[in-house]
Amino acid sequence: MNEVQGATKESRAAVAGRVRTVGQPQPLIDGVEKVTGRALYTADLPAAQALTGVVLRSPVAHGEIVRIDTARARALPGVRAVITGADCDVAYGILPIAHNEFPLARGKVRYWGEAVAAVAADDARIASEALELIEVEYRSLPVYITAAAARAAGAVPLHADKPDNIEREVSHAFGDVDGGFASADLVREQSFHYAEVAHAQMEPDCALAEFDPERGRLTLHSVTQVPFYVHLTLAQCLKMDPAAIRVVKPFVGGGFGHRTETLPFEIIAALLARAAGGTVKVELSREQTFTVHRARPETDIRLRIGMKRSGEITATDAEVVQRGGAYAGYGIVTILYAGALINALYRTSAVRYRGYRVYANTPPCGPMRGHGSVDMRHAFETMLDSMAGELGLDPFAVRRANLITPPYRTINDLQVNSYGLPECLDWVEQASGWKQRKGKLSPGRGLGMACSHYVSGAAKPVHWTGEPHATVNLRLDFDGSITLLTGAADIGQGSSTLLAQVAAEALGIGLQRFRVIAADSALTPKDNGSYSSRVSFMVGNAALAAGKELRKHLVDAAARRLETSAEDIECLGETYRVVGSDRAISYREAVRAALAETGPITVKGTYSVPEELQGGKFRGAGVGPSPGFSYAAQVVEVSVDQETGEVNVENVWVAHDCGFAINPLSVEGQVQGAVWMGMGQATGEETQFHDNGLPVRANFLDYRVPTIVESPPIHVKIVESRDPNGPFGAKEASEASLAGFLPAFTSAVAEATGIRVSTLPLTSDRVLDAIHARRRSERLKRARAGS
Amino acid sequence: MQVLNGFVLRRPASIAEAAALLADPGARALAGGTDLLANLRHGLDRPATLVDLTGLAGLDKLDWADTGVAIGAIVTVARLARDPRVIAELPALAQAARSIAGPGHRSAATVGGNLCLDTRCVYYNQSEAWRRSNGYCLKREGDVCHVAPQGTRCHAAYSGDLAPVLLALDAQAEIASPAGGRRSPLGELYRDDGAQHLTLGRGEFVIAVHVPAPAPGVRMAYRKSRPRGAIDFPLAGVAVALAASDGRIESLRVALSGTNTHPRLLEGTGELAGQAIDNALFARLGKLVQKQVSPMRTTVTPANYRRQVASALAQRLVKELAGVS
Amino acid sequence: MKRIVSLTVNGRRREDAVADDLLLIDYLRELAGLTGTKRGCDGGECGACTMLLDGEPALACLTLAARCEGRQIETIESLAANGRLNRLQQAFHEKLGTQCGYCTPGMIMAAEGLLRREPHPSEAEIREALSGNLCRCTGYVKIIESVQAASGDAS
Repeated sequence: MNEVQGATKESRAAVAGRVRTVGQPQPLIDGVEKVTGRALYTADLPAAQALTGVVLRSPVAHGEIVRIDTARARALPGVRAVITGADCDVAYGILPIAHNEFPLARGKVRYWGEAVAAVAADDARIASEALELIEVEYRSLPVYITAAAARAAGAVPLHADKPDNIEREVSHAFGDVDGGFASADLVREQSFHYAEVAHAQMEPDCALAEFDPERGRLTLHSVTQVPFYVHLTLAQCLKMDPAAIRVVKPFVGGGFGHRTETLPFEIIAALLARAAGGTVKVELSREQTFTVHRARPETDIRLRIGMKRSGEITATDAEVVQRGGAYAGYGIVTILYAGALINALYRTSAVRYRGYRVYANTPPCGPMRGHGSVDMRHAFETMLDSMAGELGLDPFAVRRANLITPPYRTINDLQVNSYGLPECLDWVEQASGWKQRKGKLSPGRGLGMACSHYVSGAAKPVHWTGEPHATVNLRLDFDGSITLLTGAADIGQGSSTLLAQVAAEALGIGLQRFRVIAADSALTPKDNGSYSSRVSFMVGNAALAAGKELRKHLVDAAARRLETSAEDIECLGETYRVVGSDRAISYREAVRAALAETGPITVKGTYSVPEELQGGKFRGAGVGPSPGFSYAAQVVEVSVDQETGEVNVENVWVAHDCGFAINPLSVEGQVQGAVWMGMGQATGEETQFHDNGLPVRANFLDYRVPTIVESPPIHVKIVESRDPNGPFGAKEASEASLAGFLPAFTSAVAEATGIRVSTLPLTSDRVLDAIHARRRSERLKRARAGS
Repeated sequence: MQVLNGFVLRRPASIAEAAALLADPGARALAGGTDLLANLRHGLDRPATLVDLTGLAGLDKLDWADTGVAIGAIVTVARLARDPRVIAELPALAQAARSIAGPGHRSAATVGGNLCLDTRCVYYNQSEAWRRSNGYCLKREGDVCHVAPQGTRCHAAYSGDLAPVLLALDAQAEIASPAGGRRSPLGELYRDDGAQHLTLGRGEFVIAVHVPAPAPGVRMAYRKSRPRGAIDFPLAGVAVALAASDGRIESLRVALSGTNTHPRLLEGTGELAGQAIDNALFARLGKLVQKQVSPMRTTVTPANYRRQVASALAQRLVKELAGVS
Repeated sequence: MKRIVSLTVNGRRREDAVADDLLLIDYLRELAGLTGTKRGCDGGECGACTMLLDGEPALACLTLAARCEGRQIETIESLAANGRLNRLQQAFHEKLGTQCGYCTPGMIMAAEGLLRREPHPSEAEIREALSGNLCRCTGYVKIIESVQAASGDAS
């Protein structure tokens, strides 16, 4: 961590002698492990004695389980446990009102690949032989792989409590919508279709469960983003005292939302370990990992916008249908986000929203980076662009006509306290050469722009306990080292680094004195998890509070040693000094003084979202409110090959308002990753299912994560609007930039080809079809004109 | 831990021994393994024996002569892509080699292996559990082609990148067999059947490909359409060998991959000799391609796109090679 | 069937009894305890298991251990001599060429193969050399910057 000290030379240090750790580019605190191969991910953990756990998956996408016979599998030598749906009768899920999934199907299977039985055996060969010996008889039911088919009259319900296969219908109206449309100069309506996409994190799913029958204790290591939720669910499903369970998150190879809920294989690993009385490792294949899914649903949007000649938006009316897959998961949250986040990017005075989350025989959907906001943002920005065009307005002008002035409360009670979007717009306009180049590019080239935003954590957690939103402990012992204990799951986003930076900043010392222990329920305080970009803001605030608390201990101790009052002591990091004098003690002396009175010190810092930021009172108001909204604008430049339909992204300029960049290096990396993930969704990624529910693309050849070859330069500008509630003013940095890519991209393609498409992804074949269709219609027009 | 099927690996010391081993119906030839082992991981075959050809002496050579070059079957694709003389004299072959999969594949993958690449289909290149759920398919273990359920043949697409170039260059395949060996035009290595696209008999395997020196004035190129800039198999791969003078075609050979069950040499290009290289010619060429390719729903990308892009790439390569802008 | 295979892994000679159908990735991870080489897909689609086989980047998930007789294998664990990061590791660390880190070993080994052959690669050469390695976190921007920095050609 020498870099930190080196950085002090040019640091923006406010107080001489203090080390600045925030606002400085900081390599990851666990980066050395990652670049040396020493980082142990779940599958890497030493488990020489572990049994191999494998899962029998349903060969049908919808059916009743008539009979399961595991006798032959149990009789196979080397098989230590065989479990089925009979071994767990507790349903789990996210919102308490929608717990409808079992780790192993009971009575019915609802998607292809759903877990039906599982085996723990001495090795992989025996385990897979045992799977072959399990006999299951199914009675097939009709398979619905579209929302429309599942909603059609007479469709068989997937779940008895939802006879029409609609998991949740949302109907919201804020402001005078009809009046808004009546006062508009231009009203347009358009329909859009978005393919389902997947997180495709590089690490396949894996869990390692150890059960100690002697003491009735369970330890689970897993790939999770939410160890606390996994802990709770394990306790429920295994009917165990949570105190007998320990959940540990080792290094995690990406999440992007895939791992924000307890996943079937985690519970299965635990059930197998208990049944076998030992340790069981369950490693899923890539195909199985795709089948776990929980990502962005296939979505249809019908959107109507009213606009004044000035570009001011007067009203919005949206209808959204999401094919949610077979189980509830985060479904209700997703369909609510899609409506709630129409707001808080621009001024909105009237919005009507109807959303339908539909069950279908596909793997359950869930949250994925930009949760709920991405497809709607594409539709919205696309229409802003085309309507601006009709009104003769520049795309930048129409956005500027609708900017927010903070503090601002939206019609659905979202509170915007900081808003760097104007600066974001200015930068991307300038950096991309928009004014000079837009409309003047060579044929086949195009520029497009769009804006987007996201929350910095949900103001209301899905598991409401009344506790603070985040807690961090700092532990100080005789050696002067500080151990930061957090339940927050670093999944590659750099949260452990950021939290150490924040706490170190409060103490003015370098990171070399810090260690972070994260996400081990035996050691670290509970944390709701790494999702909805809550960690930097909420856990960051808790780390700051903890750092200040520990500083207070040291200042008090220094005051006693220097025989003065605490107010007269200034903390200079490695030195505690009496203000205005040269009487001082070192950090180590201050530590000794502090410990002399109390012994080793553990302090706590917490954060709770202020009441006024927790949103409104209407049904569904819990989704959308956040203590801080981040903002982004981007310009995308493309070239289109008119003969092959291939689109190349040449350049991206993106400005992201993250409030304050605690770690500018990480902010850049997060923004680049988000923009690029948006590019994947825009250009080629999609899951797909055959009519019988089999996934078409559950592999990395057909699920087309972009390679390095076609990935563009992404120029990042960090905008710092200093949110009044964020730690040092920080807000989220890893989600908001995703959504804007999609509309900026399709607008750029529109300039390059003259074609606006309303279906994503925009693959080469779709582009070429559109180009050919345009040529045909032009020929037709010419022929008509000539005749 | 990946469970493979318990095959026995044999490492023959001579071509004759290899041929004898391969005469066993449960034996499969193994070279780089980048195709075969990926397929075995998906349970697409359960061979009793893998016969490793990479230890055979003499099959790893590029033998240049005035008449052309003999390329040993176990020459790696990476070496082909980097070899200065291949780049200089057979640039299309180097281009094709460079476009195969990724560097980690190319360092292992061989010329023989790429020529004998298994055909591919979205109903075939799936896990055992997947295929079983779908009732398997005509190519393996089933009796229905899910791509064309009414038909009786397999439409899995051949997706090797080297074959079209070698076909366009009129190469010959040298084949070892238990009975000795034979040499035949490369096109005869293939047949129009996705389930059985190679004409190799039991015990036979490719040991070399002989590429005649291109006639003076011949220019060549290979281009592939693929969803991403690397890794992917061709949606359509097009090789062109063209001689032209005074704006007219002297000779033109075009071959395609990714669009049919076998790599296909375009028929009818001989009749284009003497034609002016103009838009009319491009239109004719484009139509020839569109007629002769027969992509089916074997990829997630629509078949019609593969047809159109094959045609577009063929025209583009001729334009570029002829220096027409 | 098993056979005794002698090979060099990260500079050390080893002899192991391996089954004919054992993949090198499982040999490295299960027998040799070298878990730096990652599995990311079901066979040859992601590059996470890239290591050097006789100095050339290759995929451990499509290599049979039994065919590695007499060959030199280098994995990510070999690069830090005496525990000090090599130039690529240093650059990936300092430039944030790694986020979640799961693709990182394969990515670095592919880059290592490149830099040994071409110490000062162009950006196009870097892209080609890493084209078989998927990363889901970075958008590749900082990966390219890391390789450039390691080759002393930082922009």
